[in-house]
Amino acid sequence: MPSLIQSARCIVSRSQLCPSQLPILDFLAPSALSIRQPSRLHSTIPPSAEPSNPPSRQNAEKSNKPPRRPLTEAQKDFLDSALRVNQAGELAATLIYTAQTPPIVRAHPHLRPLMKHMYDQEAGHFDYFNKLLAKHRVRPTAMYPIWQAAATALGWGTAIMGREAAMACTEAVETEIGEHYNEQLRVLLDWAEKLEKSGEGVSEEFAVLIKELRRIRDEELEHLDHAVEHDAKEAKPYELLTNVIRGGCRTAIWISERV
Amino acid sequence: MYQKGVFLRQPLWKQRSAYHSYEHPESPPFPPAESAILSASLSHVPDHGFTSTALKLGARDAGYPDVSTNLLPRGVYDLVNYHLVTQRLALRDALQFPSDAENGKPIGVGSKVRALTLARLRANAPIVHRWQEALAIMAQPGYVPASLAELARLADEIWFLAGDTSVDMSWYTKRATLSAVYSASEVFMTQDTSADFVDTERFLDARLADLTKVGGLIGALGEWVGYTGHSVVNVLRSKGVRI
Ligand SMILES: [Fe+2]
Ligand SMILES: [Fe+2]
Repeated sequence: MPSLIQSARCIVSRSQLCPSQLPILDFLAPSALSIRQPSRLHSTIPPSAEPSNPPSRQNAEKSNKPPRRPLTEAQKDFLDSALRVNQAGELAATLIYTAQTPPIVRAHPHLRPLMKHMYDQEAGHFDYFNKLLAKHRVRPTAMYPIWQAAATALGWGTAIMGREAAMACTEAVETEIGEHYNEQLRVLLDWAEKLEKSGEGVSEEFAVLIKELRRIRDEELEHLDHAVEHDAKEAKPYELLTNVIRGGCRTAIWISERV
Repeated sequence: MYQKGVFLRQPLWKQRSAYHSYEHPESPPFPPAESAILSASLSHVPDHGFTSTALKLGARDAGYPDVSTNLLPRGVYDLVNYHLVTQRLALRDALQFPSDAENGKPIGVGSKVRALTLARLRANAPIVHRWQEALAIMAQPGYVPASLAELARLADEIWFLAGDTSVDMSWYTKRATLSAVYSASEVFMTQDTSADFVDTERFLDARLADLTKVGGLIGALGEWVGYTGHSVVNVLRSKGVRI
């Protein structure tokens, strides 16, 4: 387990810390391994254009597989809180960028396309989870208005501190979010493996969710790279700022999973 | 796996079915023996009410000796709950809304909510003369949380089947208000002597009309919370403040 967590950290911060450990990630994230372009400003890939990866689920449609079993209560609970917290996180992300953009763009007009690009991706993520919640009957977090307020305050507050602080905010948030998505992926991939072994096969539902979570995770890590490229580390006081924000993210995740 | 034990362990807001899968089947809501006894017992409710007599007769009909009512630790509440759960689940097949294309124009979510709520109320018709007993059982302190949770599930079911897809704070207000409207109509129906429950239908329509008024209020309240919360910055910006 510790090594898995380590590897998740590596994905998140591999450009800074542990490029040499990349192979560990094999099972976790093929899509993370295909090296992401430093900037994909003009290539927001629509989900449908991505190759669907687990070929095994076609085989699963074949006749002699055991019938699909109900999900356990624990599995349902996991999916329930995972989707809820993801929606809350993406809501917050769109609001952070909305709040950050005017002050940042006013001071640094050349950052307009980058801010818009990141916002557009977050809006896509938010939309994806909104649809998923409605489809799978997952309730939204009861803290919805609180997160709205907190995210706007965070975005605006860091933006008026300057470009570096805004980027440090992005870096901190995306570090937490990237790890968070990796933790979910680990669980889902473990289930997928067991479903394969039992002969039941991975349901379309899970296969698509895994694929989409990887795509979204990769986009979050791309934001992280952008933030670092734009001097997030120059923010003062960097340690205090990022630690406070990361602590806040973890708390928000913990609460949204439950409430 | 079955819902029964869940009532006692979890806080109210968690007592909903989590994550609905389209490929993995749902577990049956009741174990087979319980299901057999309770469905047989229900057929005795018109004559014997929601009573232990109905349960005993049902157990006998189902081929279980009287003693097996021990399977049902909550006694008559289990009988009431069985009716609630099975009628909630029956809503899925109770109504077939024509598709927008067939109908010529889209049927609004509101009309679907009305139709589903009415269908659920009408499902009480065969036992409506006994329903006040059931309400009294549900109101016993020990069963109030479970009853409220089941009411919340019914409201959730209706909004889901009506095709509502909102996943913001209105998710909560919609379910809370529909729960209130449904409960009021259900109580009204126990005293309704009109033919084919037309008075209940009118009562429901009046409550739903109230709701659109109150709904405006709740919407305004939500906007106010949003205003003081996340959009202060945006509102100030729209007023030309450069922040
Ligand atoms: Fe995102
Ligand atoms: Fe992001």
